[in-house]
Amino acid sequence: MMRRLFIGSVWLYFALLLIGPILYLAVQSFDGGISAFWNEVTKPEALHGFTLTLEITAIVLVLNLVFGTITALVLVRQDFAGRTMLSGLIDLPFSVSPVIAGFMLILLFGPDTILGTFFGTLGVKVLFAMPAMVLATLFATFPFVVRELTPLLQTIGTDAEEAARTLGANEWQVFLKVTLPMLRWGFVYGATLTVARAIGEFGAVLVVSGNILMLTQTATLHIYQSYVDFNYVGANAVALTLLAVSFAILTLLEVAKAKAVTTVA
Amino acid sequence: MTTHTLLQLALRSAAVGYVSLLILLPLAAIAHQSFVGGIDHFIQDISTPQASSALALTLEAAIITTIINALFGTLSAIVLVRYEFPGRWFLNALVDLPFAIPTLVTGLMIAAIYGPTSILGLWLQQGGVTVLYNQPGIVLAMLFVTMPFTIRSLQPVLMELEREQEEAAFTLGASPWTTFWKVTVPSVLPGLLTGVFLTFVRALGEFGSIVIVAGNIPMKTQVASVYVYGEIESYNPQGATSVSVFILLISFLVLVLLERLTRPPGERMPRWFRWSNRPLAMIRPSEIG
Amino acid sequence: MIVSYLFPILLAWVAFSGSVMAGESKELTLAVYSVPKEAYERTIIPAFQRSWKQRTGQEVRIRTSYGASGAQARAIIGGFDADVAALSLEGDLDQIAKAGLISHDWRTGPHKGMVSASVVALGVREGNPKGIKVWEDLARPGVEVLYPNPKTSGGAMWDVIAIYGAGLKLAEQQAGAGKKPSAESAEIVAAGLLKGIQKNVKVMDKSGRESVTTFERGVGDVIVTYENELLPRIKSHRPYEIIVPNETVWIENPAALIDRHVDRHHVRDVAEAFVSFLHGEEAQAAFAELGFRPIGQPASQASTRTSLPLPNRLFTIADLGGWDTISAKLFGPRGAWTTIVEDLARGK
Repeated sequence: MMRRLFIGSVWLYFALLLIGPILYLAVQSFDGGISAFWNEVTKPEALHGFTLTLEITAIVLVLNLVFGTITALVLVRQDFAGRTMLSGLIDLPFSVSPVIAGFMLILLFGPDTILGTFFGTLGVKVLFAMPAMVLATLFATFPFVVRELTPLLQTIGTDAEEAARTLGANEWQVFLKVTLPMLRWGFVYGATLTVARAIGEFGAVLVVSGNILMLTQTATLHIYQSYVDFNYVGANAVALTLLAVSFAILTLLEVAKAKAVTTVA
Repeated sequence: MTTHTLLQLALRSAAVGYVSLLILLPLAAIAHQSFVGGIDHFIQDISTPQASSALALTLEAAIITTIINALFGTLSAIVLVRYEFPGRWFLNALVDLPFAIPTLVTGLMIAAIYGPTSILGLWLQQGGVTVLYNQPGIVLAMLFVTMPFTIRSLQPVLMELEREQEEAAFTLGASPWTTFWKVTVPSVLPGLLTGVFLTFVRALGEFGSIVIVAGNIPMKTQVASVYVYGEIESYNPQGATSVSVFILLISFLVLVLLERLTRPPGERMPRWFRWSNRPLAMIRPSEIG
Repeated sequence: MIVSYLFPILLAWVAFSGSVMAGESKELTLAVYSVPKEAYERTIIPAFQRSWKQRTGQEVRIRTSYGASGAQARAIIGGFDADVAALSLEGDLDQIAKAGLISHDWRTGPHKGMVSASVVALGVREGNPKGIKVWEDLARPGVEVLYPNPKTSGGAMWDVIAIYGAGLKLAEQQAGAGKKPSAESAEIVAAGLLKGIQKNVKVMDKSGRESVTTFERGVGDVIVTYENELLPRIKSHRPYEIIVPNETVWIENPAALIDRHVDRHHVRDVAEAFVSFLHGEEAQAAFAELGFRPIGQPASQASTRTSLPLPNRLFTIADLGGWDTISAKLFGPRGAWTTIVEDLARGK
């Protein structure tokens, strides 16, 4: 049956590209046994890395949800000069290599720049500190929420909202009671992707953080440090942990979806 | 002006402002670096033998990646949304993982599994295919990091797509094939195009995994992002930014095309073109306000 | 509503988290290249903290960052406010000085500002299956050679310089005893050797460390790298053998304090003490543990301070005309190495 063939091909595609490599990672991280794995994952540098990654991810998620939604609504619902340019800009972060992303921030906030000296006089350290790391991650994750919402908004159209308006609802009510619920899955997907991507951000943060041990070393930077210290078990163990966290979030998403379907049915 | 219009303007300024600060400003800084020596210098920077080879290789690999991922991504999205089968939740949860995996780890995993010392790698080599430190390795790395795009862009759209539309077509006597082409495809087109174009754009910028699996031999296995890194590290920021700006321009054009194609029919041409070609009676009031 | 309150709070949190609370103790920030990390973290830094406490009664907190030498230099120029930089190449320190951050002449310190030394060496698999003995063996067909990309790795620059210099030495040998080859003919021999070896390179990692990890993953027959990269790995029971060619380059790694930052942080005394600590016995012993050679003139190796073999045709960067000259000659836009790579790609 065509069905079997399709499902089988998809499994094969996933296995070759995704499952195989991840299995390898899992095996490598337990190379020294469970105790070695546990030691690596709970040592101070690793814990600091996890905490820092969590902080950055939280900030980035909030900002992206707010501004991503606004941008998606504006892009789909409004037609204005420059809309195309705006749309073209939104996804550009995907094609910017992390080296350049980091370099950009240095060009903008470096010691001899306007922004750099401005923040310097305020006593706020941007580069080689938290703000630059947040900016780098923000840059990399911005497209996700917008892109999850735009096709959805295009497919849904404005009928339900206009109906609500004619029935007397004000803008805020329309937004909260009609728009948001319809966009629910777009939000959930967008948030999930943002979190996943923020957790995995590496290249740009390496450049702008200074990689200072126990201060600006995120989980991914810690993985890199372990790797170049020849601590393969450590690198793989922390990487596997990050993956497990992302996978857990993604699985929860699947569970929520299944529940939603059964509730409707 | 109505509250509605005011609100629209406020939202628009917020969006434009945020995007300008976060994306336009940094990119302008890069562009400034690359054009500081004038347009001639820019052209020179991107036409050196190493730069042009790197660009060609990157574009080629990205196109191959896009085709493969478009096919398999679409198939995967349809299978994941339309069919129920054991383990579906598992595959669904896996799809986004490439985003979460640091590119360094991606590179290491691919190198380990397809490398010359692994079973799979050796087997492929017997068959004449050297994956690692060769062009196929580059495509493999790009495939990995772009895998979620098509699937994720299609899924929400497929899920919201009312099955009633398809069922309606059925009851009216349309064949499955016709239903597919005349009902399903046009509805999912925005999602599909978004996924495909994003795959291409993302593949162009990949660095962390490629630098581990590609070998990085200039003019043979060195992609643009690795070339750029080399130039920055050897104190040639201008050459680096020029090549980056070139890649960005290509990406920008692709994304602009995407935006145009995913608009509802009637809005695909630029505004100035539309105004002059439509009879006054057809212009909607909302476009004037 | 909530958003407008949340925003400034978020901004404030982001801006001030991670900022240092200045207290009783002093804080010193170090930017070090990646290789000697273990020596610093395990021995040198704790020893220095003890010695400083003994001397002044003060606690000193030391923040460290390890990364590629060039990347660290660029970060410092880009605003990373390290107080002391210990890098792999003198060229990188010069870049920092050029940017105006180092105002003293760091070469006037003990040992001309250098704190550790090594040579370029070859690593092969246990048993040396391909029978590598001399540089020319690396150019044999069927031998896979590993070294990183000189454009991104200071270590690779040392490696290529070693190969080129070895070529020049070989030209001298070919010319016969007492006779000196002309500069052009020597350069032709050197470029020939470099081309033959570069041809056998299929992977160029972006840093020396990554090159070693690639070698560890089973790629390549012979790796060209620092001797002090190979020795600790062999000590950890890795199945490698090390070959120190007779013709190789003497590597020296500098360290200096960054004037602008130490003055801004008011830690000049600590920084100066730290830099001189690096030249002291304890630090040098820690470096030796990791496989470095004692600093000073190579000829002084004859002393019992090291058991490492002394190559009899060793040369230094000075012999090749100094960093700027040799790096422009090899890696510049029309440099020997650059041309070789392009020719190889075109099949020439």
